[in-house]
Amino acid sequence: MSRLTRRDFLRSSGVGVGLGLGAGFGLSGCAGTMTGDIAPKSGRRVVVIGGGWGGSTAARYIRIADPTIEVVLLEPNREFVSCPFSNLVLSGQRSIESLTLSYGGLRARGVKIIHELATAIEPDTKRVRIGEGYLAYDRLVVSPGVDFQWEQVEGLAAARDTVLHAWKAGPQTVQLAAQIQSMPDGGVFVLTVPRVAYRCPPGPYERICQVAWYLKGNKPKSKVIVLDANPNIVSKTGLFRAAWRAYPNIDYRASQKVVAVDTSTREVRTEFDRVKYDVLNLIPPQRAGAIAVQADLVGADKRWCEVDHVTYESVKQKNIHVIGDATIGLPVPKSGNVANNMGKAAALSIVSLLNGQAVPLMPPGNTCYSWVSDREAIAVVNAYKIENGKVVQIEQKLTPAQSVSVAQRAEGWRQSIWADMLS
Amino acid sequence: MKGGTAIMTTTRFAAALAAAVFLLAAAPGAARAAGPLDDPGFAKVITCAACHGANGNSGSDMMPIISGLDPAYFKRQIENYAAGKRPSPEMEPYAKEVQFLGADQIAAYFAAQKRVPTPIRVSAEAAARGKTIAAQCVVCHGPDGKGEAARLIPGLAGQPPGYLAQQMALFKGDTRDPGDPLLAAKKALMKIIPDGQFADLAAYYSSLR
Ligand SMILES: Cc1cc2nc3c(=O)[nH]c(=O)nc-3n(C[C@H](O)[C@H](O)[C@H](O)COP(=O)(O)OP(=O)(O)OC[C@H]3O[C@@H](n4cnc5c(N)ncnc54)[C@H](O)[C@@H]3O)c2cc1C
Ligand code: HEC
Repeated sequence: MSRLTRRDFLRSSGVGVGLGLGAGFGLSGCAGTMTGDIAPKSGRRVVVIGGGWGGSTAARYIRIADPTIEVVLLEPNREFVSCPFSNLVLSGQRSIESLTLSYGGLRARGVKIIHELATAIEPDTKRVRIGEGYLAYDRLVVSPGVDFQWEQVEGLAAARDTVLHAWKAGPQTVQLAAQIQSMPDGGVFVLTVPRVAYRCPPGPYERICQVAWYLKGNKPKSKVIVLDANPNIVSKTGLFRAAWRAYPNIDYRASQKVVAVDTSTREVRTEFDRVKYDVLNLIPPQRAGAIAVQADLVGADKRWCEVDHVTYESVKQKNIHVIGDATIGLPVPKSGNVANNMGKAAALSIVSLLNGQAVPLMPPGNTCYSWVSDREAIAVVNAYKIENGKVVQIEQKLTPAQSVSVAQRAEGWRQSIWADMLS
Repeated sequence: MKGGTAIMTTTRFAAALAAAVFLLAAAPGAARAAGPLDDPGFAKVITCAACHGANGNSGSDMMPIISGLDPAYFKRQIENYAAGKRPSPEMEPYAKEVQFLGADQIAAYFAAQKRVPTPIRVSAEAAARGKTIAAQCVVCHGPDGKGEAARLIPGLAGQPPGYLAQQMALFKGDTRDPGDPLLAAKKALMKIIPDGQFADLAAYYSSLR
């Protein structure tokens, strides 16, 4: 987490531009007094935990649908970095800067952003704790994304600063790109895929395309070894297989679950085998973001959160809505597009509930574009309905083949959906 | 945040917050004004914005603007997408979702949205070349490119150029609504326009306001 200066904080919280309307709360600079109510609530307030794909969208749509509701967003990162398109950073097609967006648009809509972690949730008193202080809420949105189950791979917890996942776009994405670039020609890049469910089912396979594309052109003697814990490519199977025909440097091995990593010998161990690497990208097994686990929003599996399919209210805690990758039980992939749609449905449900109105049915939808080279992409599209209170898939459709025009539409989707979250 | 735990030290937190003045504004007890949710269409179209932009006003090159579309034209497209006649891997599933939610209400919602022309700028030369070619299109799409709702002819003015050029290719290849008698004359015309002119035509119509 970044250290804050007074000026940073004033800027980030929007205080410097005079948001206070009398319901003010002053801190006079005596350290250690940050106990108690950080900002007493005077009207209706929704607190949103996590300013990623789900949380940003939820915050934005509450303000659009009813600007009399106060929205406070907790997000430790100062800027938003998009996971979608981040695999293109690994092949040198995009820069991380081109995927980095400001929270200014949300601020302009009156969302109050505090760049801090929520440290605990107190459902009984309807409070979110931020260290020693707290914020009261009427309803809470929890969109913390995923965290990693380091303990599932022997040796990983100790090596987690050097063995990269790059599964949260940001510094690790840039570091992994640098490792790939400095790998000698002839070097072996090993990528491991966890068993489902994990964030972005087609993501690892898009990444394999991008790295293979880069190596083919720049390090022709190198290869990509894929150790997939699943019995086959999890998503868009036929389309990825077709795309990989252009990359004879891919060595794909199904049903190879990684159980250990040894950085001293540069080796990963699966249940059956040992594989040497020059660069390792180990995507660990995942679960809902830590705060959801701590707050006991997760089910018996201790991994994911079950929710109502209409309002996204937690089945375990009232007035808490969980969205995005942290959820389970809907027949949807863990994608940014789904998180975005859940954010809207949760936001409009909350606005309806706070205004004593009926909640409309808002089934999600999903499109996942994957880049299979520098110019071509493929896509999977899912549409849903709600029947008897449950989300049901209507149809899943794939692009017939990879093409430049799908890639152009991917670009259009990126532009539109970024604006739908943050503008 | 790194790793599985979300623990912040008290001192760090205090340092961050205690140095600041933090005000949260609220409008206590404010009555809810009329909002977008009062239109039942609003909650039915939330999934569309990921591609078509806010209120159907796409800002990107390959996604059409769907605000201000004539409802009859709109519904016909939804039917054709759902039936696979106008092939689109994106729109076939979404058209079925629209049918589940109610195509009439969704068509009416977008028809009522103010159309904002594409922000994409085209070269003046390309638009000027396109204008001379467009003489053949005026009979149907009108001198201002606004179309003619009664004949289900959409307005082209201000649509993104990439989308327009791509549709021309689809018409020419008879992959959009093959066999549709409404489109027979249009396709015959597209067949005699060289592919190389599509970009100019698209630039011209895109630049119209
Ligand atoms: C390489 C890659 C490629 C992808 N490509 C695509 C794609 O093309 N299309 C697509 O639709 N999806 C894609 N995804 C998936 C997409 O990124 C996720 O599904 C999406 O980010 C989920 O949104 P979320 O809100 O659940 O989580 P996130 O977007 O991860 O947001 C969670 C936020 O919560 C914050 N947070 C966590 N804990 C706390 C706390 N205690 N207090 C405050 N804040 C907290 C985090 O800092 C983070 O900003 C991709 C993912 C990856 C890794
Ligand atoms: C994943 C992206 C995506 C989403 C989401 C999406 N669309 Fe589309 N839409 C497209 C594309 C691409 C086209 C052009 C397809 C073609 O080639 O015909 C299109 C075309 C259309 C058209 C035809 C426009 C015209 O001028 O002929 C309509 C109407 C439409 N969409 C309505 C909707 C509605 C309503 C929704 C939400 C329920 C929606 N779309 C969601 C991508 C999308």
